[in-house]
Amino acid sequence: MAETATKPLLDAEFLVKLEQLELVSRKIFVGRMKGERKSKRRGSSVEFADHRNYTSGDDLRHIDWNVYGRLDKLFLKLFLEEEDLHFYTMLDTSMSMDFGEPTKLQYGKQVAAALSFIGLVNHDRVMLDTFSSGLDNGLRGIRGRSQMYRIVQYLDSLSAGGGSNLTAAAKEFAIKHTGKGVVVVISDFLDKRGYEDALRYLLARNMDIYVVHVLSKEEVEPELAGDLKLVDVEDDDFAEITVSAPLLARYKATLNAFVGGLKEWCTKRGITYIFTTNHNPFDKLILNYLRERGLVK
Amino acid sequence: MPIDFSPPITSLAAWALLAGVPAGIIALYFLKLRRKPVQVASTLLWRRSLEDLHVNSLFQRLRRNLLLFLQLLAVACIVLALLGPRMKGAVGHGARYVLAIDNSASMNATDVSPTRLAQAKTEAKKIIDGMQGDDLAMIISFSDRAKVVSNYTSNRSLLKKRIDDIEPTEASTSLRDALQVAAGLANPNKVGDVPEGVVASSVVAPKLLIYTDGGFPDVEGFQLGNIEPEVVVIGKAQPQFEAKAEEGKAAPPAPSNNVAILALQTRRNDEKPDVYQVFGRVHNYKLEDVDTEAKLFVIDPTKPKAAGTLRDAVAIKVPAQGDAAFKFDLPDVGATELEVRLLIEDDLPLDNRAFTLIGNPRKAQVLVVSAGNKYLQDALKTSLADARADVTSVTPDAAKGDAVTRDMAAGRYDLVIFDQFRPEKNPEANTLYFGALPPGPNFEKTKDVTGPTILDVNGSHPLMQFIRDLSVVLVNKATVVTELPNGSTALIESNAGPLAFVTPREGFSDTVISFPLLDGQGVNTDWVRKFSFPLFVFNALQVIGNARDSAGEEVHAPAQPVLLRPETINDTVKVTNPDGTGSELKRAPQGGFVYNDANATGLYHVNWTPQGTMTFAVNEFDSRESDLAPRGLVPEGTPASEADKYRIKIGFNPVNSARAVTEAPRDWWKPIALLALGVVLVEWYIYNRRVYI
Repeated sequence: MAETATKPLLDAEFLVKLEQLELVSRKIFVGRMKGERKSKRRGSSVEFADHRNYTSGDDLRHIDWNVYGRLDKLFLKLFLEEEDLHFYTMLDTSMSMDFGEPTKLQYGKQVAAALSFIGLVNHDRVMLDTFSSGLDNGLRGIRGRSQMYRIVQYLDSLSAGGGSNLTAAAKEFAIKHTGKGVVVVISDFLDKRGYEDALRYLLARNMDIYVVHVLSKEEVEPELAGDLKLVDVEDDDFAEITVSAPLLARYKATLNAFVGGLKEWCTKRGITYIFTTNHNPFDKLILNYLRERGLVK
Repeated sequence: MPIDFSPPITSLAAWALLAGVPAGIIALYFLKLRRKPVQVASTLLWRRSLEDLHVNSLFQRLRRNLLLFLQLLAVACIVLALLGPRMKGAVGHGARYVLAIDNSASMNATDVSPTRLAQAKTEAKKIIDGMQGDDLAMIISFSDRAKVVSNYTSNRSLLKKRIDDIEPTEASTSLRDALQVAAGLANPNKVGDVPEGVVASSVVAPKLLIYTDGGFPDVEGFQLGNIEPEVVVIGKAQPQFEAKAEEGKAAPPAPSNNVAILALQTRRNDEKPDVYQVFGRVHNYKLEDVDTEAKLFVIDPTKPKAAGTLRDAVAIKVPAQGDAAFKFDLPDVGATELEVRLLIEDDLPLDNRAFTLIGNPRKAQVLVVSAGNKYLQDALKTSLADARADVTSVTPDAAKGDAVTRDMAAGRYDLVIFDQFRPEKNPEANTLYFGALPPGPNFEKTKDVTGPTILDVNGSHPLMQFIRDLSVVLVNKATVVTELPNGSTALIESNAGPLAFVTPREGFSDTVISFPLLDGQGVNTDWVRKFSFPLFVFNALQVIGNARDSAGEEVHAPAQPVLLRPETINDTVKVTNPDGTGSELKRAPQGGFVYNDANATGLYHVNWTPQGTMTFAVNEFDSRESDLAPRGLVPEGTPASEADKYRIKIGFNPVNSARAVTEAPRDWWKPIALLALGVVLVEWYIYNRRVYI
């Protein structure tokens, strides 16, 4: 696990996949012009959309004076939305993410990098935050494709550590970031304090929230046998179990209840929930699942 | 099947240690000093899962822990295997069995249901059923002859089928034959006929199980090699132990439920020549007197299977374990076939019937080669001799001629008498020489003696029957052989050597009187003037001339070869069995016909073309077979020192015997140990493959 964590994120294979993503994301962009999410446009189709009659109270700055000069009538120039899209990513770097093959953290990094890359390619304002027991200092306002190396560098430098306190991190995040935008939370949500409060803080910011729930294969289908003392890496809590078929059945039921509960909670509040395991290829996740759920066009 | 135990470990401490193993496993399981720590991302989900299961967790764990259960099972199996459980099976393993099944006449007895032979088969099949994979068995059936029914094989169904195929016979019993076959074929050291793929091993001593009722004499002077014999005695009656058998007095024979005809003979009444007498003897093997009836039936030869016509009946009273005689008088009505039946129900119906014949006298065909001997001619012309022989006389010159030589070589004659004539070649007939020696190298060393004194006469020989006055006979000159040929029997011994002897020759016999009767015109001996001379000639006609008063006189036992001398020169005759089946019989090289299939009692008919018939009777007449008391069992309460007296002896060694075969324990520790190994493997698999139940 530790080995894959230190493996450079920017390996050739990954880059190739990113390049593919770039092509694919352009297609997505062209093909879905009328998306429900606003984004800043530039280039040929950006500047002008239409005219409309002036009514009192309109911003005088938008009056087309050339038309007024010719026609002696006040018309407003209508532009398409010019506002920047803020694309936030919250990546869980707590100890619990350091499990699996590849580790959940590694997987999360890949997902974060890919989403950021798409954001950069689409000229969004990309921001990266990580959290464990609290929100760490992340990357701010990265813009432009050329800045991708910074993101990769930053993600590469991350390592798992500390317990997870999603609530505290979300609260801090909500205080820091006031602007509207998209926030993607990548975490295993294995936090004994629960996830409800954390997501409520984010909801309060009126952000478009996406939850990517990453669990390792070992957590979904535990391969354990015998009499074991399970030790929690984050808080050294332990559970003594004797593996048996009923216990495993019970575990799976609990897991399903947990995942199902999170999904239901999110869906009810308009949060898009995506469940994945570390064995689900991240590019597939990006291209299929996120696209289906509207995060990526 | 009962199970007993024979633990290889006898030390109490070792057992205590062994008993501690499962206790230790359970203790270790509960103490569980070291749970294997495993790091997980979070115990969140596990904790929630455990909450429900924590109730009754101790029992839950115990119940759910398959691995503990399997460990205990494995230990239990090992302990069980160490206990050495043995199931009482009939056999051990890797063993070789020779099953000798007696199918003699006495095995037809019905004192055990349904018959003794069936019982023997059932017992033998128990052995077959108990055989394991690598066991081999061989089956021999024996009566007077032993027959290998099945060679060594492990094919149990085949063995059982072969056992079923054993047919009862009416023959007598000879264990020696069976032992010889068993020793010859079954001894691994001697095996020459081992089935393919079976390695003869001298390590595994074959076990010889003899299923018999013991109706045979002890086999003395026989070496069984490494075969272990054991007798399984079939039959109901249990011998009684005679606590104080008197010195020199044999214990009374054990009783059995049987009455048998042991003899039957027909003879012309000497006083009334037109009346035949049928004599018989009945023996009672029971402990109580028997009143029964003997019935005489006349059998129609054209209907061999029919019951016959009742001609006469006599009531007889047979004392307990004693004999009684019966007699029927019949007028001479020519050849008649007779059957005597006892009106009694007993365990062996076979010996309640007997067969005989009257009439049908056979005349000896006699050739006399003599230059002229009036004494001999007179002796052959007595009324008794005349009735028994057709005599042809030729001179020595004629005897050298082709016609006579051919007749002699073709077996035309039963007896050829050479009076002072030595032929160049032996005739195909019995011979009687007076003053000459048979041809051949055995008779080359001779010496001439004068005035020998007769010292001894072999009165037990049939030829010398009723001859009493030879001690006063004078002999002038004789030519005696210095050394008797092998197998010869001296008839008259003198101070100078044997004056008369009988020598066997390829199925015939040559009788030599080494002194001539005549010396020139006078006599060489005064024997010719004694009563004994015509008697001797008469005996010769009877004994070596095959002359018979009636065919019924000869007693043939079942399954014995019967030598037939029908009055025909044909090369084949037809023999019809009592059951009506017939077969062609070819002439034997010796001239007669030998019939080997007279296996059942009854009347056999011999027919030949153009027209000729003779009959012979086959009768049981075997007191050993009729005596149904099983032999070989040691009665209860016999002291060990006396027990050997009752046992059957083979080569002077008493053989252990029982009602049923001693059950050899069958070891079960091997499969149990394998089971333990299997359990450990399953445990390993479950542990590694994470199979949960």
